[in-house]
Amino acid sequence: MSLARRKILALGSGILATLSMPAIVRAAPVEVIEMRGTSRGERVWFRPHGLAVTAGTTIRFINRDPGNSHTATAYHPDNFDRTRRIPKAARPWNSDFLLPEESFEVTLTVPGVYDYYCIPHEMAAMVGRIVVGDPGDAGWEGPSTDTEDVSLEVFDALPMVEAILDLGRIEQEGDT
Amino acid sequence: MLRSYMLSATLLTMSAGFALAHDTEALMESPPGEPYVQVSDVLPLPEFLPGLGTLFVVPDTLPAGPFLAYDHDGKLSATVYMTPLEALSSGTAYNDLHVGSHEVTSVDVYYNAGHPGVDEPHAHVVLYHDADAKGRLAQ
Repeated sequence: MSLARRKILALGSGILATLSMPAIVRAAPVEVIEMRGTSRGERVWFRPHGLAVTAGTTIRFINRDPGNSHTATAYHPDNFDRTRRIPKAARPWNSDFLLPEESFEVTLTVPGVYDYYCIPHEMAAMVGRIVVGDPGDAGWEGPSTDTEDVSLEVFDALPMVEAILDLGRIEQEGDT
Repeated sequence: MLRSYMLSATLLTMSAGFALAHDTEALMESPPGEPYVQVSDVLPLPEFLPGLGTLFVVPDTLPAGPFLAYDHDGKLSATVYMTPLEALSSGTAYNDLHVGSHEVTSVDVYYNAGHPGVDEPHAHVVLYHDADAKGRLAQ
């Protein structure tokens, strides 16, 4: 067997070995959601505020607003007794206050729709929606239909699930 | 008799004026001392807020303030008031608010969506105490 042929076979074995590695060994996907604000705080927002990811994706929230602190807080009874707006089987999260350039991570494994908000800025409709997987996934839970626990402004600010799935990510108009 | 009352009233006004002048003099350098507290010590906010500087407030005066705004060198540069819009539209008035300094060179009024401490949409009313104050508080 020639050296070249041996090298090709070795390379092929390596590729096969990589492809057959258990998923846990491969790097888990990470998506970043930034907390943003204008310099005088007239507007605050998550960027993107609509995001589609696969199950097992880690979401990293980073505060990129130099003049404010923000939270990423799941709508869930564990967080200030709010009405649940994440899948029932999912674990809620609350980043607590993040100062500028601080970050927080959460890994989402349960398929479905997750709505979250910023504690000091919910009244300014600083909210976001993450869609994990798609409606064909086992255990999928669609968006909450509750309209009692959130304001109309918050409800309107949440992107439609279909739009998130179509586009992958949604940013607000004028977002930079 | 009338002259006596007028004299008393004048003296009272003068003494109040002196007291106020003395008080504001004590506020010119950071920290202003009790009962003021540094906002970043009691709320999850950066120590220096771009545009507002390092803020001190008497907790009892929240949300309106006054907030005393100091530059990086600890010089009083602005007095800031934060007035929730819903409260204003509901008839709440914020009267007779104190000032950090009697010298005011310009005033900015602008909308703010909220932040820890005043987490509802409100107006920032910023009284700058010298011509360069805005620049020193910017970053």
